[in-house]
Amino acid sequence: MRILIMEDDKQVAAFMCRGLREAGHVCDAAHDGEDGLEMARDGQYDVLVVDRMMPRRDGLSVIETLRAEGMATPILILSALGEVDDRVDGLKSGADDYLVKPYAFAELLARVEVLARRRDPGSVQTQLSVGDLEMDLLARTVKRGGEDVLLQPREFRLLEFLMRHAGQVVTRTMLLEKVWDYHFDPQTNVIDVHISRLRSKIDKPFGSTMLHTVRGAGYRLQA
Amino acid sequence: MSSVAQPAPDVEGSRFILPSFARTTAFRLTLLSAALFAFSSFVILALVYAATVTAGVRRADNAIAQESIAIEARFRAEGPAAANRYIVQRSVAGGEFLYLLNQPSGRRLSGNISNLPSTRPDDQGRVRFTYERARVGGQSTAEPSRAARGLISNLEGGYTLFVGLDVEDEARFVTYILNSVLIASGLAVAMGIVSGALVSRRFSRRLDDINAAAREVMAGRLQSRAPRNFSGDELDDLASNFNDMLDRVERLMQRMRSAGDSIAHDLRLPLTRMRGRLESALVDAGDLADREAALAQAISDADELLKTFNAVLSLSRLQTGERRRAFETLDLAAIIADVAELYEPVCEETGHEFAVDAADGLTILGDRELVAQATANLVDNAIKYTPEGGAIMLRVRSTSSGAVELSVTDTGPGIAPEERPRVLERFVRLEASRNLPGVGLGLSLVQAIAEVHGAELSLDDGPGASNGDGTGLRIALLFPRHRA
Repeated sequence: MRILIMEDDKQVAAFMCRGLREAGHVCDAAHDGEDGLEMARDGQYDVLVVDRMMPRRDGLSVIETLRAEGMATPILILSALGEVDDRVDGLKSGADDYLVKPYAFAELLARVEVLARRRDPGSVQTQLSVGDLEMDLLARTVKRGGEDVLLQPREFRLLEFLMRHAGQVVTRTMLLEKVWDYHFDPQTNVIDVHISRLRSKIDKPFGSTMLHTVRGAGYRLQA
Repeated sequence: MSSVAQPAPDVEGSRFILPSFARTTAFRLTLLSAALFAFSSFVILALVYAATVTAGVRRADNAIAQESIAIEARFRAEGPAAANRYIVQRSVAGGEFLYLLNQPSGRRLSGNISNLPSTRPDDQGRVRFTYERARVGGQSTAEPSRAARGLISNLEGGYTLFVGLDVEDEARFVTYILNSVLIASGLAVAMGIVSGALVSRRFSRRLDDINAAAREVMAGRLQSRAPRNFSGDELDDLASNFNDMLDRVERLMQRMRSAGDSIAHDLRLPLTRMRGRLESALVDAGDLADREAALAQAISDADELLKTFNAVLSLSRLQTGERRRAFETLDLAAIIADVAELYEPVCEETGHEFAVDAADGLTILGDRELVAQATANLVDNAIKYTPEGGAIMLRVRSTSSGAVELSVTDTGPGIAPEERPRVLERFVRLEASRNLPGVGLGLSLVQAIAEVHGAELSLDDGPGASNGDGTGLRIALLFPRHRA
């Protein structure tokens, strides 16, 4: 997919573009807010990655302008400011996700891919399925190969998130943010333990692995 | 005095240069009060002077008028000879009056002065004049002219009567008083200047000492302190506060320096490890799987480093206290339940007994995320330091004082009372835990979160260590209760 990076540090932008290209995407970079705004208007991008602090025009203003012009392209905002107010400001301006510097590239890649393949929020799904794994969001039941799997409420939400992003890499931080709504890093790898619990329910009894660990990045649910 | 700093020489150059003591506030104030004193005493004494002079004049005029009436009465009743006799009698008796009775021709009939005063009388015949006193025996002495007042009356038959009174002594007395007053005022101003100079010299010498200490500190000698005289006056108070401030600055700088050292130490280890892994992955002709493993490990090392940086950043952010405006009413039990749910599987895996006892309906004003983070940090620590088989207990209850207490109790080794204040400092890790992962930010982050919430953090002995080696640890956050 086509990704536009707006980042004033040229080296960082080049590094990000190279990483995204290696992951099979097309990437352009703009080094200030005005250029970024022009390029975003002209090009057909699937995701915009916008640095919050840029010369000539700051990231929040770029995002607000694009949203005011009716652009619906998913936007990931990058910022060195990591506290809750900044995050709220960023999301209020119209960004879809917020990533705090310094970040791991795997985290950026995972978030960009999740954003690009975001489903239309208008269609409400009541059923999710990945391979022989089925989830009924209304009855709150999970079946694998037709067999009932009993999950705790949080495990259910964890699996739901993984199923909604089946085939994509989701990072530990993303899970902590989206499933637990925590934006801090616990010192202990709590997510790993929850994932292994989930595995013991959806994978182990069935003899085949769907929930994979992606080294250095996170997890991926795949049929 | 020569050491007084002149921070603005450009201004100094364009101004009349006063001796340095004259520029001090104390000197100016003393001078001002001396001037005020001199001025007010001058005004008061001037009023007294005017009143005294007026009263003297009136008294003299009255005496003159009475004497004049007495002579006139005699003149009218018995004629010029009787008046003459009376005047001679009075003069010989040594009265203070001056007399002159002139015949219609202008010739002197009697009296103790020779001529009428040369000054013009006013419309009532009153006159002010000076005269030279005629001595007994008609000898004129060297005595200068004396001040006098008099009254000229025209009598029947063209006679002219003059009665005067010597007011020289009175005038001298008043002048004497006036001079004394002027001298006293002058002395008051002079003493004001001198005492102002002395006071300001003393004052500015002590201020100089404080200034000198400040300059020393600016020049990098942070141990320098302002001298105190322990009198408890405002300058001593200033010096004391100044020194306390320097103590605190010095402590903070030391802490920052040691924080810098420890962060460098904590980052060097994973960086070195990472570099080693990357290097061997590059050099070794190992198979692809080995290289991948080395790279993945390097990435997880980098993640650790990022975590450290983020923790440092959020701690700094927190300590600026900006976060308070996002506060809302929180049910502690709900937050604890979420955190417990997050950690319960971890405890199961690490072999810790985990229990939660949270009273419902206890609300505080705060930030959900921060309170959760503080709780998570405490549980993280408890898991890290409590040996396998130990117990961890999360608890929320109201205290007798009406506060809401959130506590995490473990059965680990505990922290010795004397070391408790230290563990709250940034980056401080007790020697015993140096080999455990983490950067020693956990507790200081909890402390910072407590401060933002106006909560009190306390460390106590726990119920004793599960393996009998230590006291256990109970860390409590005492929040002020907030009812929605």
